[in-house]
Amino acid sequence: MKIEDRLSLLNYKTDKSYEHITINPSICETCPDHFCTFACPAKCYSLIEEKLNFKYEDCVECGTCDVACSHGSVAWTNTKGGHGVKYKYG
Amino acid sequence: MSEFDVIVVGAGPAGASAAIKLATSGSSVLLVERGDPPGSKNVSGGVLWGDSMGSVIPDWEKTAPMERYVEAKGVSFLTKDSKISIDFRSRKLQERRSGYTVLRTKLDQWLAKKAKDSGAMVAAGITVDKLAFKADQVIGVEQDGDVITSDVVILAEGANPRVAINSGIREKLVDRDVAIGVKEIIKLPEKTITERFNLTSPKMGFASEYVLGFLDGGVKAGGFIYTNKESISLGLVISMKEMRENNNTRSFDLIEQFKEHPYIAPLIEGGRVDEYSAHMVQEGGIKSVPQLYGNGYMIVGDGAGFSFSNGMVLQGMNYAIASGIAAAESAMKAKIKSNFSKGSLSSYEERLKSSFVLQDLMNFKGIEDVTWSDMIHRGIPNISEELFLSLFSENGQPKKHLYNNLIRSIGSSEVPRKDMIINMYRMLRRM
Repeated sequence: MKIEDRLSLLNYKTDKSYEHITINPSICETCPDHFCTFACPAKCYSLIEEKLNFKYEDCVECGTCDVACSHGSVAWTNTKGGHGVKYKYG
Repeated sequence: MSEFDVIVVGAGPAGASAAIKLATSGSSVLLVERGDPPGSKNVSGGVLWGDSMGSVIPDWEKTAPMERYVEAKGVSFLTKDSKISIDFRSRKLQERRSGYTVLRTKLDQWLAKKAKDSGAMVAAGITVDKLAFKADQVIGVEQDGDVITSDVVILAEGANPRVAINSGIREKLVDRDVAIGVKEIIKLPEKTITERFNLTSPKMGFASEYVLGFLDGGVKAGGFIYTNKESISLGLVISMKEMRENNNTRSFDLIEQFKEHPYIAPLIEGGRVDEYSAHMVQEGGIKSVPQLYGNGYMIVGDGAGFSFSNGMVLQGMNYAIASGIAAAESAMKAKIKSNFSKGSLSSYEERLKSSFVLQDLMNFKGIEDVTWSDMIHRGIPNISEELFLSLFSENGQPKKHLYNNLIRSIGSSEVPRKDMIINMYRMLRRM
């Protein structure tokens, strides 16, 4: 089962006015490992034409990327107002 | 005057237990939870082991939304071609106490309702940003610039303790503190599960941990399968350190490799994946436990690093509940003395030291090095596979003694014999 299909099973209440995680593109540009693209279990981080792309909308708020990024690019906060992923089972 | 005696941040098992304990004892409590409804952000394996909940909800076994009672507990090593297992079933395990499989969205919603019924105020969908301080005393929590005041704050944030980090009372997490947890809920009919796992009734369940020695790139991970009423919880706990060293394998692909293993696939055959989830898992043992209390605050549950794993068992919620109750008791004692200083709240750590929570973590210091060792992930699976192949196959050759087979199997493993002896010694001492 592809990760995209797995993510499509999830319910999200997306916060269009607040991106709870942001990255610093200038840090990512010179990143030697892009470990985030391997660690993030929701494939929010991907390299598109060698440029790091981040999608906060698919985030399941697991916290992994904040630990995974050892270069200080990830600014991690919790979603607000009940936004973000809503699990059925957990 | 504070608005509340205690504010509890996070309505998982730790926070809800603290709130219930406090509210039933007459304290004014605000339980703040960022998920709406409570539980909708929470992920666990999960089996709730033991009876910690009994001290706040005596009839919980009859009323809580439990899935199945664990009557069969497994531990397996998987290599590419083989499965070497302990499948322990005993009527005596049922007479003593094992655990219940649970689904956190249901359980935590139920716990939050219990907290409300006990008299706590429950605020769901509210994200606390940080602790509010007056000089060096915590006086409440801050949310979008507003301060809500309390004499004591109990932080029960779970494995990703943002409020504690933002407030400067604990360090950011690092590789050794955590693992990456990924999980699927696979729907299967109740009857199929009962039959497939050889369970004695639809109320009974199976829980097993797996050491996965066959994953792509040699990434170390533990797997788990727990049976719910009408679904299977299947997942992986992947070492962050190993993932980083490998830097070639994607966390979301590894769960597929586990599911496709020749002796796992038949267990979930015909099942439909109904949910995918992921969360960091506390894995660092006692080394990852932060300062647990200070002026006006205490930290409980996963946020305090309270989880236990030795490769054979994987537990967290019972530690969460017990620590939440201990913090509630210390908050109540502090209220009687009207003293909410660090010194006054130090009784929290004393309580934990006299309970299994800190005793287990202290007694099993360094266990995480064993859990993630080459010995567990490569040595034992490969040696036992080789040993059992020579014992159980028949090729018309003269048979060897068990000892000789074992020595030959050890010789064929990738782990040097010298390391093996040292590691075996360490392992037995620490497990």
